[in-house]
Amino acid sequence: MSSRTEQHPADLAGAYALHALDADDTATFEAHLAESERARIEAAELNDTAVALGLAVAPVQPSAAVKANLMSLLASTPQLPPLPRVAGPDPADAAASAVATTAAPTTPGVLGTPPATAKGLSADAPSAVADIRSRNGAANSRHRSAPATERAQARWFQRPAQIMLAAAAAVALFVGGTFLGQTLNTNQFASQQASGLAQINAANDSQRAATTTADGQEATLVWSNKLGISAVLVDNLPVLPSDQDYQLWYINGEGAASAGTFDSSGDSTAWRVLDGTMHAGDQVGLTVEPSGGSDQPTTDPILAFQS
Amino acid sequence: MLDLMTVDSAGDLAPPAPATKEELLARVAHGDQSAFGELYDQIAPRVLGLVKRLLVDHAQSEEVTQEIFLEIWQSAARYEPTRGGASTWILTMAHRRAVDRIRSSQAGRDRDTKIGIRDLAVAYDHVAETVEVRIEHERVEKAMTRLTQLQRQAVSLAYYGGFSHSEVADMLHIPLGTVKTRLRDGLIRLRDELGVAS
Repeated sequence: MSSRTEQHPADLAGAYALHALDADDTATFEAHLAESERARIEAAELNDTAVALGLAVAPVQPSAAVKANLMSLLASTPQLPPLPRVAGPDPADAAASAVATTAAPTTPGVLGTPPATAKGLSADAPSAVADIRSRNGAANSRHRSAPATERAQARWFQRPAQIMLAAAAAVALFVGGTFLGQTLNTNQFASQQASGLAQINAANDSQRAATTTADGQEATLVWSNKLGISAVLVDNLPVLPSDQDYQLWYINGEGAASAGTFDSSGDSTAWRVLDGTMHAGDQVGLTVEPSGGSDQPTTDPILAFQS
Repeated sequence: MLDLMTVDSAGDLAPPAPATKEELLARVAHGDQSAFGELYDQIAPRVLGLVKRLLVDHAQSEEVTQEIFLEIWQSAARYEPTRGGASTWILTMAHRRAVDRIRSSQAGRDRDTKIGIRDLAVAYDHVAETVEVRIEHERVEKAMTRLTQLQRQAVSLAYYGGFSHSEVADMLHIPLGTVKTRLRDGLIRLRDELGVAS
């Protein structure tokens, strides 16, 4: 009889190619792949076989919105550098084709990540934002492949597509997919913002309120009381002179607290996740302030939401 | 002779011969958005077809398809042509993502296992839209007939149903170890029948 412990890792090759393994078995099998070229060749062949099954499925045409959303996201979505050619044990590292495409972080021999570590990585969802930070830092400085850097990149790689996509879905949902990220100065800030927006959208208590400015621009507040965060999205918010900024405020019985500044390109959707913590019942206000922002609002709000 | 300079300013719309997916991916890796659009047009229906096969729900499948293409954009530089064609790279990613969605979402867990059982009929209920797909259908269908029933069931449930090997074991009432060997033996048989070799 076959008990789990008696099985040879090679037996997992089929289930691996079909993505039918859990994390533990995946790690076990990838450790096996790292040691055996024969196993890597088999894994690559079985992966190709699985793809043949996929090519036999009838195509389905996506709605036009899918492409439109994607195209609008490209400019603000960072691209990863090629995997460095770390003293590759053998160029016929064919199995990695299956692995690298999907789960780069756990590719043995390519990233130099031991399976045990890889397993740990895939479990730490809460650190997604931190991962993004470290990843962006690594990408920007373009260090050569120190293993730690690679791991950081790999960690980042594992999640951001979901985060960015969730953000994309959120923006598309609220404002019709015109996200251009024009208010965002750096990738890191953009990632934090996108992540925040995604979290709000994904929260099971996510709420929204809509209003218009005096000039008729449509504005939306989305928030999660549970997470204590919110974001404001405004269509076609006018460009400000360089000596002014838009500033957001949380307003409650204790007064107004600054929640960050931003600017607008004027012809698309400006949005920002607010700094600080939102408390249930807070009002959210938007004012025009001198560049850099003020300690307290100095003008009448052009927008006010009641959460 | 056509003067290139006379090409419409949106001249990337219609090159005389469509670029291969591999060429497009190489351009995408350098941030070429129009190449990305072209690649999307070429393969998005395949991606959505596969994802929807697993997820069933159309809206969710489109969401995952977006995720997949964003990942293609992000990681295009990591595609290595020496390791296989672009379609293989992309469809592998697509299947992985669809499975991830099933495993991570309540919607996935809520799928009635009957969906999987129904899938044993192997996805050929659709009329193939193109000759290419029809030929591929027939090839795979024929290869599938060379498997034992248990191999065929296990492979179909895992690939088209997105079920894990332990779920397959539960559904077919066979030990996990048996499922593993059936999946491997089944895929090896398919590989040989389909003439897949690297």
